[in-house]
Amino acid sequence: MRNPKTWLSVLAAALLVLLVPPLASSGGDEADSRIRGLRFMVPNTPGGGYDITARTAAKTIEDNDINGAIEVFNLPGAGGTVGLGRLVNERGNGRLAMSMGLGVVGSVYTNSAPSSLQDTTPIARLTEEADIIVVGKDSPYQDINQLLDAWKADPGGVPVGGGSSPGGPDHLAPMLTAKAIGLSPKRVRYVSYDGGGELMAAVLGGKVGFGVSGIGETRDQIDAGELRALAVTSPERVPGIDAPTLQESDVDVSFTNWRGVVAPPGLADRDREKLITMFSRLHDTEQWRDALRRNGWSDAFATGDEFAGFLKSENDRVVSVLKELGLA
Amino acid sequence: MSTDMSTVDRNPAEASGVRGRLRGHSELGVCVLLLAVGVLVLTDALSLPTDFTQRGPLGPKAVPVVVGTLLLLISALLARDVLRGGRGEAESGEDVDLSAPADWRTVLLLAGAFLLNAALIDVAGFPISSALMFWGAAYALGSRNPVRDPLVAATVSVVTWVAFNELLGVPLPGGPLMGVL
Amino acid sequence: MDSISLLLDGFATALTPQHLLFAAVGVVLGTAIGVLPGIGPAMAVALLLPVTYGLEPTAAFIMFAGIYYGGMFGGSTTSILLNTPGESASVVTAMEGYPMAKSGRGSQALAAAAIGNFIGGMLGTIALVLLAPVVAALAVDIGAPDYFAIMVLAFIAVTSVLGRSRIRGFASLLIGLSIGLIGLDQLTGQARLTFGSLHLADGIDIVIVAVGLFAVGESLWVAAHLRHKPAKPVPVGRPWLGRADLRRTWRPWLRGPAIGFPFGAIPAGGAEVPTFLSYVTEKRFSRRKDEWGKGAIEGVAGPESTASASAAGTLVTMLTLGLPTTAVAAVMLAAFQQYGIQPGPLLFERESALVWGLIASLFVGLVLLLLINLPMAPLWAKLLRVPRPYLYAGILFFASVGAYAVGGEVIDLLLLFLIGVLGFAMRRYGLPVLPAIIGVILGPAAELQMRRALQLSDGSLVGLVNSPMAVVVYLIVAVILTWPLLRRLLRRAPAEPREHTGV
Repeated sequence: MRNPKTWLSVLAAALLVLLVPPLASSGGDEADSRIRGLRFMVPNTPGGGYDITARTAAKTIEDNDINGAIEVFNLPGAGGTVGLGRLVNERGNGRLAMSMGLGVVGSVYTNSAPSSLQDTTPIARLTEEADIIVVGKDSPYQDINQLLDAWKADPGGVPVGGGSSPGGPDHLAPMLTAKAIGLSPKRVRYVSYDGGGELMAAVLGGKVGFGVSGIGETRDQIDAGELRALAVTSPERVPGIDAPTLQESDVDVSFTNWRGVVAPPGLADRDREKLITMFSRLHDTEQWRDALRRNGWSDAFATGDEFAGFLKSENDRVVSVLKELGLA
Repeated sequence: MSTDMSTVDRNPAEASGVRGRLRGHSELGVCVLLLAVGVLVLTDALSLPTDFTQRGPLGPKAVPVVVGTLLLLISALLARDVLRGGRGEAESGEDVDLSAPADWRTVLLLAGAFLLNAALIDVAGFPISSALMFWGAAYALGSRNPVRDPLVAATVSVVTWVAFNELLGVPLPGGPLMGVL
Repeated sequence: MDSISLLLDGFATALTPQHLLFAAVGVVLGTAIGVLPGIGPAMAVALLLPVTYGLEPTAAFIMFAGIYYGGMFGGSTTSILLNTPGESASVVTAMEGYPMAKSGRGSQALAAAAIGNFIGGMLGTIALVLLAPVVAALAVDIGAPDYFAIMVLAFIAVTSVLGRSRIRGFASLLIGLSIGLIGLDQLTGQARLTFGSLHLADGIDIVIVAVGLFAVGESLWVAAHLRHKPAKPVPVGRPWLGRADLRRTWRPWLRGPAIGFPFGAIPAGGAEVPTFLSYVTEKRFSRRKDEWGKGAIEGVAGPESTASASAAGTLVTMLTLGLPTTAVAAVMLAAFQQYGIQPGPLLFERESALVWGLIASLFVGLVLLLLINLPMAPLWAKLLRVPRPYLYAGILFFASVGAYAVGGEVIDLLLLFLIGVLGFAMRRYGLPVLPAIIGVILGPAAELQMRRALQLSDGSLVGLVNSPMAVVVYLIVAVILTWPLLRRLLRRAPAEPREHTGV
């Protein structure tokens, strides 16, 4: 190692690894309101509800030049609690946001996850979507009453499929419905599928008695006549879907699934403001409104403290529902 | 699945030698490992809470219990096989010279280079720690060119960093001077 | 036929010079990024999406087609050359591909992969054109009992890869199954073997397991027994497939799509199980069983063709039903939606020109992929001529980048190292590595489908056999299990005392 060439080469190598990265890196922060290297985590498999929400939002933000490139990545597992745990571990990271919704609220309890949504920094609630009860086109059930009668008579023979793990919206909706028609939730055969794609295949193929899913994931199949929509769970009918509400059939269920964005805990005020501004500007774009319409989502925009209060009330509501169902 | 559980590969001549016996004994370590994994899987399965609501006749315990039990069984069978003189055939390969005894120094150096990378990557950044790993691994495996080695290592690692971080937008930590320059 | 004339129109669109250029750019980018460690085809497609923004839809989709097949193919290159599979579909390829590369037949392995990829993709895409509606209708009829039956079949097939000592093969399989147990139970969300770590909650990715057992384990093993004699460089050998190679590969190439395409089309199919089934099938049919594990070219040709056909099959369910069955398909679906195009039952009516243009571009993309990659094979293979220390340092570097890049967590590196040490121990004590990999792939899938089937049937065991397809699969299993007996009866000849091939 006494050879001067050796030292020169080690020196050159050191300079290379030390200096190239900062110099090659494309500038520091761009405009002050932008977030460089923002990552948007989807705690669900690609193609599911959170995924479509996140990717649509990211694309709209990029297209309208609200922010630079956003990397959407999936970290699925256990109804979103795996992603939530990761988010909570990233304390103070202002370059990370997570797409989430009602499902994650429930999964925290059914999975006894160590971190809850109370640990996160709420950013914005974006959309609301009714759940829909669907059967395949060859199903014997023509309307919701036929289905409910058959279900009540033989809950074991009419398995219900949903795209969320126990505690998620597709699970809560049929459980609440069962309760409302006097069927013990304990007797319901609920089969969980991971995300929307697998569930729809099971419903189309008649593997389950009926399916419960978001409207966005089913609309095209309904339009094509492959699926029959029997009822929606929201208090009002959904435009473009020819199906009654459950309340019209004297089933006292009012249920909507909402989706929003949360960020890691311990965020600096400045970072939190940046994220909230970004999503507010997203909400103002024409392209976002188009996307809402296309996916059958209702606008349910709320930010910051309002969203935080809402999260808390939803949390309480879900806990009480799950306790009733014996799940929490 | 199978009725033939015997080992094909028996070499009594070698098994009777001193090295062979040592090797036979060290292979019992595999049995111990399998036993330990089996016990671990079983205890973990049995400690799963049972009051979870019914969701099908087979719960989350069933498969781990089967796997754990089979692990205990296979551990016993392997131990019997080893004690009767059967032994696993070490894998050969183009770069592998089985006639020489294991060179633990090289293995430890190589493992050290890898673990050094794991220890440094978040502190010193990807380019530095990965370059050190590359150089360390090459050194461990016998490369002794003090001029070329560090330069190759640094180049490979910096090019990779640029490709991921700048061209693809996959973030990798850049090092202590990020944001300073 | 109507669809044929529509397809010809599609070709007219795809074959304009401008669109050809887009397809070529897509193929090159897709391959280049698919080769990078840690970046599987789903991520490659997602990362390249922004490149297509601003193009008109036809050009964008033509580029997608190139990126899709290019990204799917990129992973097998590193599998063969560095023993580091880039994605789950190319894990099996490493089993025979890497030994081939080490013995100087790297360019043959790469060529067998490239041509297999081409043939599999071609036949798969032709099947997509001719059979899409039929297959899509059948695909949704496949349910949990059918999947479980297929898993049983796959487990039976495992016996043929247990290696020379059955006990050690089983031990390896059980280690794989134990690794597969790690994580939250998919049906109840309960944590198993996670030791309270959220990081393990999602289980250990099959690519991490494969890279750890293959690449890291191999590097450590070589370090322990490095040849200290003057190392001869890896012989490069002849650059092209010889006639003998072609004789051995054409059947695997053609059989691949028969396995891969249906698996790709069914909702929970994927590429891992069919590539493995292709591997054991080819091993079964091979006349040179002694070469297996040391570089049998059939073991590259079959699985690669299968993987590519499975990628085509995935498009069936995505285009005709709008159901994404793999991560790549989900990203493609999202891309379609960004252009305001909703794949699904109505797609072929609403966007006929676009869909047929896309399908035509799939063909064009495959041809370009072959034209670009076949000449590259000998060049890639020369990579192995770098000095041994650099080669293994590079393999370790590549493996660790792959583990770290995606999640950015040090624990992934430690996990990779631990699995590498396991791979080292398995090599030393003659535990074959492949059964462990198969255990990780099959275990969780089999458990999920079995329990789901039982849930659907309300706990009745009939639920496992109450579908025609499941019954057929179980019959096949029964025939396979009793085959030695049947053959003895048929031939009325004394059977050989030792029969070590299971299937």
